[in-house]
Amino acid sequence: MSKILGVALGILAAIGGFVDIGDLVFNTAAGATFGYQLMWVLPIGVLGIIVYSEMCGRVAAASGKAVFDAVRERTGFAAGLSALIASELVNLLTLAAEIGGVAIALQLLSGLPYRVLLVLAITGVALVIWVVQLETIERIFGYGGLCMLVFAVAAVKLGPDWTQFGKGFIPHVSQNSPWLYLYFVIGLLGAAMTPYEVYFYSSGGVEDRWTPKDLGLNRANAIIGYSLGGLLSVALMVVGAAVFLRHGINPEHLGTIPLGAEQPLGKVGLLFAIVGILFAVGGASIDTVFSGAYNLAQFLGWEWGRYRSAAGAPRFFLTWIVLLVCALGIVMTGVDPVMLTEYAVIFSAVALPLTYIPILLVANDREYMGASTNGPLANTLGIIYLVVIAVVAVAAVPLMIITNVGQN
Amino acid sequence: MGSTHLGHNILDHQLLDKDGRRCGNVDDLAIEDADVVAIYSGPGYWPQRAGWLGRLAGWIGGSGRVRVPWEEVAKVDSAVHLRRTAPEYGLGKGDDCLRPFVERIPGANR
Repeated sequence: MSKILGVALGILAAIGGFVDIGDLVFNTAAGATFGYQLMWVLPIGVLGIIVYSEMCGRVAAASGKAVFDAVRERTGFAAGLSALIASELVNLLTLAAEIGGVAIALQLLSGLPYRVLLVLAITGVALVIWVVQLETIERIFGYGGLCMLVFAVAAVKLGPDWTQFGKGFIPHVSQNSPWLYLYFVIGLLGAAMTPYEVYFYSSGGVEDRWTPKDLGLNRANAIIGYSLGGLLSVALMVVGAAVFLRHGINPEHLGTIPLGAEQPLGKVGLLFAIVGILFAVGGASIDTVFSGAYNLAQFLGWEWGRYRSAAGAPRFFLTWIVLLVCALGIVMTGVDPVMLTEYAVIFSAVALPLTYIPILLVANDREYMGASTNGPLANTLGIIYLVVIAVVAVAAVPLMIITNVGQN
Repeated sequence: MGSTHLGHNILDHQLLDKDGRRCGNVDDLAIEDADVVAIYSGPGYWPQRAGWLGRLAGWIGGSGRVRVPWEEVAKVDSAVHLRRTAPEYGLGKGDDCLRPFVERIPGANR
C-alpha cells in the first residue's frame, strides 16, 4: 500500500512539476494568438516527452548511464563536446528565464523591486538546494505546482466553445499568418520536449539506483505524470483563447498570465495562479540548474550527484553555483524573461536531436540493455519522433527569423 | 574480445576507482601492435580529439595527463573499473584540490 502511495505521490509531484516557463509562455501565447487551432500539437509534444523520458529511464535502469554519459560514449569526444556546449547554453538561457519568472511571481505577491527579487530568488534557490534534500524539494515544488490546476478549473469555468476546442485537435495549417502559426508549432513542441527534463529524469534514475525492477515505476511516472501534466498545457491554451484572445490582450508579460485565472475565479483564482507559477517555475529552475551540472560532470567523468555532499563532489557543486551566478548576471541586465524563454525554447528545439539520437542508440544496444532493449513500439515511436525533432530543429531558427521571434 | 573491439568499447567511458569513485573518462588509448597497453585520461588529451574546440576545452581544463597501464584495469562493463584508488593514479585531482576549500562552508559534508 505504501508503495502505491509513494508512486501516487511521485506522479502528483510530476504533474505539478510538468509546467515550466516555456510551457507557460508558449501555451498561453498560442491560445491568445490562434485560439484553439494549435491544440493538436500538445498531444504530439506530450507523447514525445513520454517516449524519450521512458527510454532514458530504462537506459538508466538497465545500464546505469545518464544522458550525457551516453552522449559522449556514442558520439565520441568531438560531437559530444559540441552537444555539451549547445545544451549548456540552452540550459543557462532556460535557467535565467525561470529565475526571472520566479522574481516576477514574487513581485506580484510582494510588490518589491524586480532586481531585488532576482537576487532574493537566486539566493533562495541556492539555499533551498543547500539545506533541503532534493527528494523533498521535488515533492514540495511539485505539490505547490499543483496550484496550477486552477488554470484547469478556470478553463472549464470559462465555458470554452467546445466545438472549436475539439476541432483544434485535428492537425491543420492556419491560412491566417501561416509562418507565425508554424513558429508556434515549433515552440509548443520545443516547450513540451525540453531537453533538461530528460537530463534531470535520467540522472535521477541513476542516482536512485534504478534496476530493471523499477521499470514499471519508470513507465508509470512517464506515462501518467506527463499525460496529466499535459492537461495543464491544454488548460493554459484554453485560458489564452477564452480570456486573452477574446479580449484582444497579448500576454507578452509573464505577470499577465495569472489574470487568465482571475477573470473567471476572482482573487482566489489569481492567488492560486501566482503561487502555482511560483512553485512550478521555482521547481523547474532547480531541475534546470542540476541538469547543467549533471551534463558537465557526466561528460567529463567527474563525481556528481544530489546525494553526495558538496565536499563529496566539489566540481559538481561549484558548477551549479557558477550556473546560478551566470543566470543572475543575464537577468540582471533587465532582459525580458519571456523573450529569454522564447530564445531558450527555440534553441532547445535545435539541440534536441543531439540529445535524443545517442539515447536511441544506447537503448538498442543489447549488450547493455539485455531484456530491457527497445522493442518494436519504442523503436517505431523513437524513430518517428527523431524525424519530427529533425524537422523541428531545421525549421526553428528560420521561423524565428521570419517571424521576428513571434512578434509579427 | 579483439583489441580493436575492446578499444571501441572503452574509449570515452567512465573511469571508476576501486571504491566506485568517478575519477575521469577514457580520453585516449595507447595502442601498441594492435593491443591496448594503457588508458589516457585528462584535458591534455582533448586537443587531439576535437580540433580547435578540443584545444579550447583543453586550455580551459588545464593540461593534466594521466597514463594508467592496462594491467590496472580490473573490469570493463558500462564503465572501466580500476584496481586502486584514484589518487594512486593521479586521477580525480580536480575534486581533491577543491575539497579543502568547499569543506569550509558550513553544511558541506552533510
